[in-house]
Amino acid sequence: MLVVFLACVFMLFVLAGRLVYLMLVESDYYQELADDLHERERSIKAARGRIIDSSGTVLATNRTVCTISVIHSQIKEPERVIEVLCKELGLSEETVRKRVEKRSSIERIKTNVEKEIGDRIRAYELEGVKVDEDFKRYYPYGSLASKVLGFTGSDNQGIIGLEVVYDEYLQGSNGTILTLTDARGVEIEGAPEERVEPVAGNDLYVSLDYNIQLYAQQAALKALEEKQATYVSILVMNPQNGEIYANVNVPEFNLNDPFALPATVDVSNLSEKEIQDLRNQMWRNPSVNDTSEPGSTFKVITAAAGLEKGVVTPEDTFSCPGFRVVDDRRIRCHKVGGHGSETFVQGVMNSCNPVFIDVGQRIGAEDFYSYFQQFGLMSKTGIDIPGEAGTIMHQLDNIGPVELATMSFGQSFQITPVQLATTISSIINGGKRVTPHFGVEIRNSDGELLRRLSYETREGIVSEETSATMRYMLEQVVAEGGGKKASIEGYRIGGKTATSQTLPRGTNKYISSFVGFAPAEDPQVLALCIIHNPQGIYYGGTIAAPVIRGLFENILPYLGIEQEKVLDENENKVD
Amino acid sequence: MTSQKTMEQRKRRRAAFDYSLFGIVLILMAFGLVMLYSTSSYNGQVKFADPAYYLKKQAFATALGVVAMVVVSRIDYRIWERYTYLAYGISLVLSTAVLFFGDEYNGSKRWLSLGPLSFQPAEFAKLAVILLLARTVTLRVKKMGKISQMFRVILVVLPIVGLVGTNNLSTAIIILGIGVILIFVASPKYLQFISMGALGVGFIAVFLSVESYRLERLAIWRNPEAYEKGYQTMQGLYAIGSGGMFGVGLGNSMQKLGFVPEAQNDMIFSIICEEWGLMGALCLLFLFLILIWRLLVVAQNVQDLFGSLVAVGIMGHILIQVILNVAVVTNTIPNTGITLPFISYGGTSVLFLLSEMGLALSVSREMKKEP
Repeated sequence: MLVVFLACVFMLFVLAGRLVYLMLVESDYYQELADDLHERERSIKAARGRIIDSSGTVLATNRTVCTISVIHSQIKEPERVIEVLCKELGLSEETVRKRVEKRSSIERIKTNVEKEIGDRIRAYELEGVKVDEDFKRYYPYGSLASKVLGFTGSDNQGIIGLEVVYDEYLQGSNGTILTLTDARGVEIEGAPEERVEPVAGNDLYVSLDYNIQLYAQQAALKALEEKQATYVSILVMNPQNGEIYANVNVPEFNLNDPFALPATVDVSNLSEKEIQDLRNQMWRNPSVNDTSEPGSTFKVITAAAGLEKGVVTPEDTFSCPGFRVVDDRRIRCHKVGGHGSETFVQGVMNSCNPVFIDVGQRIGAEDFYSYFQQFGLMSKTGIDIPGEAGTIMHQLDNIGPVELATMSFGQSFQITPVQLATTISSIINGGKRVTPHFGVEIRNSDGELLRRLSYETREGIVSEETSATMRYMLEQVVAEGGGKKASIEGYRIGGKTATSQTLPRGTNKYISSFVGFAPAEDPQVLALCIIHNPQGIYYGGTIAAPVIRGLFENILPYLGIEQEKVLDENENKVD
Repeated sequence: MTSQKTMEQRKRRRAAFDYSLFGIVLILMAFGLVMLYSTSSYNGQVKFADPAYYLKKQAFATALGVVAMVVVSRIDYRIWERYTYLAYGISLVLSTAVLFFGDEYNGSKRWLSLGPLSFQPAEFAKLAVILLLARTVTLRVKKMGKISQMFRVILVVLPIVGLVGTNNLSTAIIILGIGVILIFVASPKYLQFISMGALGVGFIAVFLSVESYRLERLAIWRNPEAYEKGYQTMQGLYAIGSGGMFGVGLGNSMQKLGFVPEAQNDMIFSIICEEWGLMGALCLLFLFLILIWRLLVVAQNVQDLFGSLVAVGIMGHILIQVILNVAVVTNTIPNTGITLPFISYGGTSVLFLLSEMGLALSVSREMKKEP
């Protein structure tokens, strides 16, 4: 008998030992596993940093919205809950009933509900109905600079544009609330909450200027409408440091409803993938993401290369019979009868193709190619917009006389508009290759400077002398040549026009463009206008140049660029 | 010598009712009800919208049990000697009936229903077996040294072991265990028991290998985290580990909130560990040890062999269930469903446990003075 009892005592001691092991030695291990099981993490969204323009105008901010959800086990009056939610949220009874009656721990009824509606629902004090406040990205100016700013997804992550590039600064870090739940996931009332406060994101200060952007957008919309174009892009930048003041690509889209396609698109018989393709198309920034043949605006680069190599001077004379025969091929000038005898300056003013074919031949394929590299055309500009397209260019070995000839007046290769604007900037600013950019500073929500963003500049792209000559010649283009329609009395403006065909050729679609800068002798602002597929007259000098003139008339005084009387001087120089 | 004298003696001994045994039982019972409410209120709320659902049923059975205990303690236990075969017969009939008319719950047919009351014949069978074996062994005590007699005694309980074992393996093991302890106490020949132990191990090995799901249980036991069926075991360990030295406090268990399935049943000890900590768990084990010790004292100090064996049987019943239950909950042995006496939910169980205590108390009246 005693043996049985002692055996029992022994076994109880073994079990007690096992308990000591489990509850003291292994305690932390099981405790942690158990906590993981009991704790539910609810995240508190951090406020995303704002995007603020150079004048202090807020272009992107946050708005409080509400998420309405129901907790099945806490609902006392299901019929009333259904009725109220239907009424306030404008949902069908069927939808609401399904969610209210679903046996789940928490069921979301609707997200992104306006704060007022959320407050109203809260005021009913319905049991089991939860109104959670949340932040939603909000763009006060709707579609303004949509393809630059970009937008965010529901997870507070940038999807396109600056929102993507500066995501790490803007995002901040979400906070969490740890609550205890039972096995069904129902929160336990009165249990202590652990709270980690969210850290708001930092503000991004950009070089965009709300007013310039707005002027540019108005000008672009006017051209879009008048010329029935597919799209119109305007890029306004500071050629001295690469800061971009405006980048318009109309039609823009509504940043506050970025997934909605334009009303003109009939989506009823499109597949989900086709709809998404259309959205992606809508979100593209053609100034950065798309390449095309630059056409005659590229003659600026050919001229700079020729001057830099010393194979041409402004005074050199050329003769234009209306075409050049290159390798048995007859390449026409846009003026059918030809420009006759002309100096290089006049050749630039006339945008005369034979003149540039000659200059291209004097430079030679190999050197022309290395000037491409020297000017930075073969690499991306490094603009702070995602998805910048690279230059599409011949291999050096494939550049025969015909390719060389067409390249010299901006055909047979493709670059992005921002590449063109940047390269021209570096030619007219004294030879500094700047990095085009929007982002300037990162500040915290109190306005304290955290970081000044810096960008690469490369000196010595062209000599100061070449740069000065180019400024002079391009000023003549606007004063007396093909860019006359961009001239504004009292301002010295330089520029170059272009009319190119869309690729593939033969569709009779054109791209009219004009690049202008002011003041011509010391450029402070450069603007590029591209009109894609205009109807009717399609010459860049006729339709794109006036767009820039209209823009300059507005923004030059705004930028503090003084009017001056320079007309007399110009006249003296030209003839 | 005269019957009058013995009557007188008996009357005198009535004063020697073992109060410490009675006290321990009351303490365990009260603690059991408190813990039952703590562990079952969540489940009651979720399933029956009444946190006291399980408590009410258990309290009813406990009240009934206390009455039974007091009544049985006042009746001379020798009367039952006459009814052992009847009781055994009834338990066989009921255990057979449950196979055909039983209510199924969690995949096992274990309950017989009579109106609103339900009854678990296996619990009654334990009591019947204790009485039957006590009697059988008393009759053959002189021949118990022979191995053939040992097997004959075992043979007597095999029908009920087989019947109960078809859908309640754990109770069958307990019944068999009670039998082994009684035989061992009557005839402590170690060699025979070692050989019997070896035989038992061999039997278990064959038994396990016959059905693969039992082998799977072994695998789960060795590494409960890796198996889905180890869920209950893991949840129990979470609860035990969460307890630490002093526990999270009465009523504050997290694991009882649906994580440990049916926390008021077999796994209740894990919640006790969580809420009372190591100290509380050890105190409870100590209480059981005192209970077992008191039963031992009763068994050792009763001249009457039948009474002594009844006390040993009851002691064996309690100690087997306590040890197996705690061993299962702490994953010291593979999982099998064994309730913790006086604590786990189960009306029939508490009713018959209290009746057994009444029986032990009745036997305790026969005690000679403790040395």
